[in-house]
Amino acid sequence: MDKLKLEILTPNGEIFNDVVVSVTLPGEEGEFGVLPHHASLTTLLEAGVIDIEKDDKTVESILINWGVVQVDETKVIVLVEGAVAIRGDSESAVANALEDAKQLINDIADSNPAIASATARIESAARRLL
Amino acid sequence: MANLKDIQRQIKSVTNTQKTTRAMKLVSTAKLRRAEELAKRSRLYAAKMNQVIAEIAGRIKCNRIGGIENRCFTEIENPKIVDIVFVTADKGLCGGFNIQTIKAVKKLIAEYKEKNVKVRLRGIGKKGIEFFKYNEVELFDEVANLSSKPDKVRSDEFIMSSIEDYKDGKIDGLRIVYNGYKNMITQELHISNILPVDTTDFECDEIRDSMLEVEAQDEEHMLDSLVNRYVKYAMYYALIDSVAAEHSSRMQAMDTATNNAKDMVKSLNVKYNKARQAAITTELIEIISGVESMK
Repeated sequence: MDKLKLEILTPNGEIFNDVVVSVTLPGEEGEFGVLPHHASLTTLLEAGVIDIEKDDKTVESILINWGVVQVDETKVIVLVEGAVAIRGDSESAVANALEDAKQLINDIADSNPAIASATARIESAARRLL
Repeated sequence: MANLKDIQRQIKSVTNTQKTTRAMKLVSTAKLRRAEELAKRSRLYAAKMNQVIAEIAGRIKCNRIGGIENRCFTEIENPKIVDIVFVTADKGLCGGFNIQTIKAVKKLIAEYKEKNVKVRLRGIGKKGIEFFKYNEVELFDEVANLSSKPDKVRSDEFIMSSIEDYKDGKIDGLRIVYNGYKNMITQELHISNILPVDTTDFECDEIRDSMLEVEAQDEEHMLDSLVNRYVKYAMYYALIDSVAAEHSSRMQAMDTATNNAKDMVKSLNVKYNKARQAAITTELIEIISGVESMK
């Protein structure tokens, strides 16, 4: 099966760089999914959650506050300003990540309805890991 | 004998200076490590951001995205007013770090003057500001204490007024001049064209048609928002890169100063020993000649 290369970059470095099966992005016009061989596009992302379906079928969620994405047939490059990955090996690490994510949500100045749903989703993502 | 005392005093003072410079070097080394880490982590993001922007600009230039008119992406013929933002350190004692930037700015101003372009100088960092004030060059805007402690909020605020002026057509260009970090021992001067986005390197033939489709309805809004982020980040990146460069430059300058002081102490020591020996010899001659005369 074809794979997609996903890179997520923040001003503090790379937080994700791997081959994935699919990725769901919170576009300004609404959420959209990207599979391999997706048509090329460049668009903005708003505050929300990026869901990444990895090779081993696990799903990783990354909260972002703003971003721009460049999609072409084989790779997706996401530039985001602030991001928190909901992941960790231990319960405390996941809890920490969740805490960071909530902090980021609080920091997003212009609050909008998308944020409320994003909060709910990262909490459920964290619960899946615990 | 007074000569001996003098040399001794000199040695002491040079040794003290050496201690200071060594301490400053150590401080800079520690600060450099942190600044370097920060700059390194951001480098990839900054590079990709530039790439994305350049690609969009190139496509607009080559008319692959139909009918977009955005001031930020179109080259302006006969610019009238250009903003030059320069970044220098707040403190000196860092070798040629500040003067390199200042020279580049002066050259740039001269170039623009030749073309009859008015320049609005916006300064960050005390050293550069002091220099231009002393030379009675008018500064449009100045900010101190930002280059030593880069702060995203303050840097955004500072550059936002240039972005707005550009979009309103009050200025026709924005350039940032700063001395960036290359490695531990070299700094690299950057004179970047921020606005309008530089498309001179872009070859229209190289674009594959399939590669870009901007969401059609609000491309204006999208480009606007993207440009804001891009310029703000370029500014912030210039600041953190400049801090790293400042510390590396200071580290080097202080290292050289410490070595110079060491050499100086060495030669002063030789001088001291010579003087001491001369004094002993004179004393001996005095005693011997005294004894001789008693005979």
